Amino acid sequence: MTGAVPLQQGMLPDTIANLLGLDAFGIAGDVVAALLGAFLIANFLLINTAFAGPWAKRKITAAFTDRIAVNRIGPFGLFVIVADAVRLLSKELIVPEGADRPAWDLGPLLIPFSALLGFAVIPMGSGLQLADPETGLAFAFAASSIASLGLIMMGYASNNKYSLLGGLRAVASNIAYEIPLIVTGVSVVLFTGTLQMSEIVAAQEATFVSIAGIAIPQWFAFVNPFAFALFVVANVAEVGRNPFDIPEAPTEIVAGYQTEYSSVYFVLIYLGEFIHIFLGGAIAATLFLGGPAGPGPAALGIVWFTAKIWAFFLLTQWLRSAVPRLRVDQFIEIGWKGMLVLSFANLVLTAVIVGVLTTL
Amino acid sequence: MSLEEPEPDAPATVEEQSADELAELLGDHVIGREEHLNAPGYVVRPDEVQAVLSTLKEDAGYDHLSCVTAQEYEDRYESIYHLKKYDDPTQEVSVVVPADRENPVSQSGEAVFRTADWHEREAYDLVGIEYDDHPDLRRILLPETWQGHPLAEDYEQDRPQVVPLREHANPLQEDHRSEQDTDTMYLNIGPHHPATHGVLHLKTVLDGEQVADVESDIGYLHRCEEQICQNGTYRHQIMPYPDRWDYISAGLLNEWAYARAAEDMADIDVPEYAQVIRTMGAELCRIAAHMLAVGTFALDVYGDFTAIFMYAIRDREKAQNILEDLTGQRLMFNYFRLGGVVWDLPEPREEFFEKTRDFLEDLPEALEEYHDLISSNEILQMRTIDTGVLPPEVAKSYGATGPVARGSGVDYDLRRDDPYGYYDELDWDVVTEDGCDNYSRLLVRLREVEESAKIIEQCIDLLEDWPEEDRTIQANVPRTLKPDDDTEIYRAVEGAKGELGIYMRSDGTDKPARFKIRSPCFSNLQTLPEMAEGEYVPDLIAALGSLDIVLGEVDR
Repeated sequence: MTGAVPLQQGMLPDTIANLLGLDAFGIAGDVVAALLGAFLIANFLLINTAFAGPWAKRKITAAFTDRIAVNRIGPFGLFVIVADAVRLLSKELIVPEGADRPAWDLGPLLIPFSALLGFAVIPMGSGLQLADPETGLAFAFAASSIASLGLIMMGYASNNKYSLLGGLRAVASNIAYEIPLIVTGVSVVLFTGTLQMSEIVAAQEATFVSIAGIAIPQWFAFVNPFAFALFVVANVAEVGRNPFDIPEAPTEIVAGYQTEYSSVYFVLIYLGEFIHIFLGGAIAATLFLGGPAGPGPAALGIVWFTAKIWAFFLLTQWLRSAVPRLRVDQFIEIGWKGMLVLSFANLVLTAVIVGVLTTL
Repeated sequence: MSLEEPEPDAPATVEEQSADELAELLGDHVIGREEHLNAPGYVVRPDEVQAVLSTLKEDAGYDHLSCVTAQEYEDRYESIYHLKKYDDPTQEVSVVVPADRENPVSQSGEAVFRTADWHEREAYDLVGIEYDDHPDLRRILLPETWQGHPLAEDYEQDRPQVVPLREHANPLQEDHRSEQDTDTMYLNIGPHHPATHGVLHLKTVLDGEQVADVESDIGYLHRCEEQICQNGTYRHQIMPYPDRWDYISAGLLNEWAYARAAEDMADIDVPEYAQVIRTMGAELCRIAAHMLAVGTFALDVYGDFTAIFMYAIRDREKAQNILEDLTGQRLMFNYFRLGGVVWDLPEPREEFFEKTRDFLEDLPEALEEYHDLISSNEILQMRTIDTGVLPPEVAKSYGATGPVARGSGVDYDLRRDDPYGYYDELDWDVVTEDGCDNYSRLLVRLREVEESAKIIEQCIDLLEDWPEEDRTIQANVPRTLKPDDDTEIYRAVEGAKGELGIYMRSDGTDKPARFKIRSPCFSNLQTLPEMAEGEYVPDLIAALGSLDIVLGEVDR
């Protein structure tokens, strides 16, 4: 990301370079600064995932289902994160007979990689943004789509029929729901006129309406709630959560593409899935919820941003607890016959409205 | 849906034939008569089984093949077809088919009653009678390589059975379709799979995601329950085992099946007070069993341990606590005794009544929650309505009973149609749904919980006012029971999953010579291919969930 797109002012690597005095080292300094920035962002996400996976997911589901969940290890059971890390990493890695080795190993690596890569262009507030290319939104969508490749690699290389079914379902669902997702995203671009993430955020800063002295910002979720709803639904499908968890569908195809993975690979897959949920939330927040915007000083941006991606995580967990899963054919049907039509209708309608507004 | 309506006052209109009329109907087919305690028995030639069964089915209306019992005598083998009428199960008839001692071959009844398929395979597997004209006579409970037939007289118990790993290391590997037919995929669902509710193996052939063919492979949980019972004395040693057949909290219902058969056999009258306690306990068990059925069905459709599963478990727990107070146990109750129950309600009685009433009071609210979360959920309706369709005639042909039959509009409930206990004194209704699909079976269970609650409430009222001096919990039963030689009886009760029947034959000793369990799940599971073929894999799973099988009862 340093090659094609020069570092812009105010980006995280820039700040790091300034702080550490790396400017003097030329391109090498840029590389080091960029890597340090990426390291920082990745760790921020990993910490979020550590809370989300072994702890928050249990606690949230337990709250929904009348249980208590982890409460023995540490305050509020928080140390279960450490215990789980040790437990999962110390498990035996079972390699199934007949697994297609390089592909079987690469799959679990691709999933967290693709999700993390998407965060490279997300403005997380408080100056935390690695890069801000002009094609930012396209980059985020493209990066998160790489996961599909990982899923089909895992499904195909596991030498297991359940994995194969899961892999095929994953691809079918990603194709069916990525188009409505991106088309809905494009309807926001019609307003902003740019794919650059920072510009999209900036476009939402203006006041939309003012009710009783409280200024409601021009977040696209308020401007076009229909698009927001479409986007969230497609997003839930994209990250494979209930009611669209067809690729995993534990009661039908055991665990889908991840059936044969244990130990570290299991951790990597789950890590990837959680970061993916956060990425889904991050894109939704950037496009529709003003990115890191929120009351208080701009320095609080990261706090608001984190709250927004966690809100999306909470939504997925809520759906998981309460909504039944669709059948695979119904799921695909809704994707192609419902979501796709609606998202194009939304796009055309938005285009007309924006066109009329700009000519006035 | 234009499925035929069950006749509202069916039992009254069913024509009953006397034993002699039936004998006349069967004419030359009958070569002898037997008298079973529950029904007249007609001995027929082993090569005329189909003719006799179809005459009884077509001309006399015996449309329910409840059970096939096989046994070996010193001079012959014998298969007994226990026939009933769905419209009036008190009308029973036994078709007794003797087979040659040296060459036990008997005609299969599968052409008339499809349920005979599995029942005869079991008879072949355990006793060793061969059924001519059977479409697929293989072992069903034991592995193919098993030597001998365990319930036959000459079976060597002590002989080690070598079941070589070579042959069983991966019985799943064979993909027998791949050569002729490259469009389908063979998939093993189970024996260990999140949705098989135990160790069940479904040999599935998929065409894309659609089920082209499915065959259940059972027997993983076979524990020789019939033989265990044959080794126990009537009086005390058999009663603990029924709890272990359908162990999903249906314990008292199972115990009642044995109690009813044994009490009728030994002519024991159960005091009314004990009958009321039994009825109350049994219905608590039914609620607990249905709660779990609904919860796991939701689990199969929802996908994870979600809210509805936990809510169902939460409410089942309350029923379980009351049962614990009553019986002292949570899983293996062992509460019934021949002639009554083991002890009276727990003291202080008021506390027990209050606890039970609280449970019944909270129940409508809980059920409301289930209806909100499951039955009125659009996605669940999309998933379950018109999937896993089981037409009533097919259900009858497979001997389906319980919520599975009632979900197909078959108005059949032994509690009402063949009354026992205190049921005929109480005010309650049999629940049926005409949808024949997964959704109907779910609704039947949810509504049956309400009916059970009604029954329990009435029992509580009765027990509260029962005069202290009349609280007899057990009849006077001899220390050792030795029914007369060659007494035979087949009796069934309405278990949580359907008709749970026991056949017993005495040989004059204090242990039954043959103890046969007619498991409702065994017959119900047979309908799975009918429901699932042509559907998607998720609907196969949903259909399996809606059958609510317990492998402990299927395999016994």
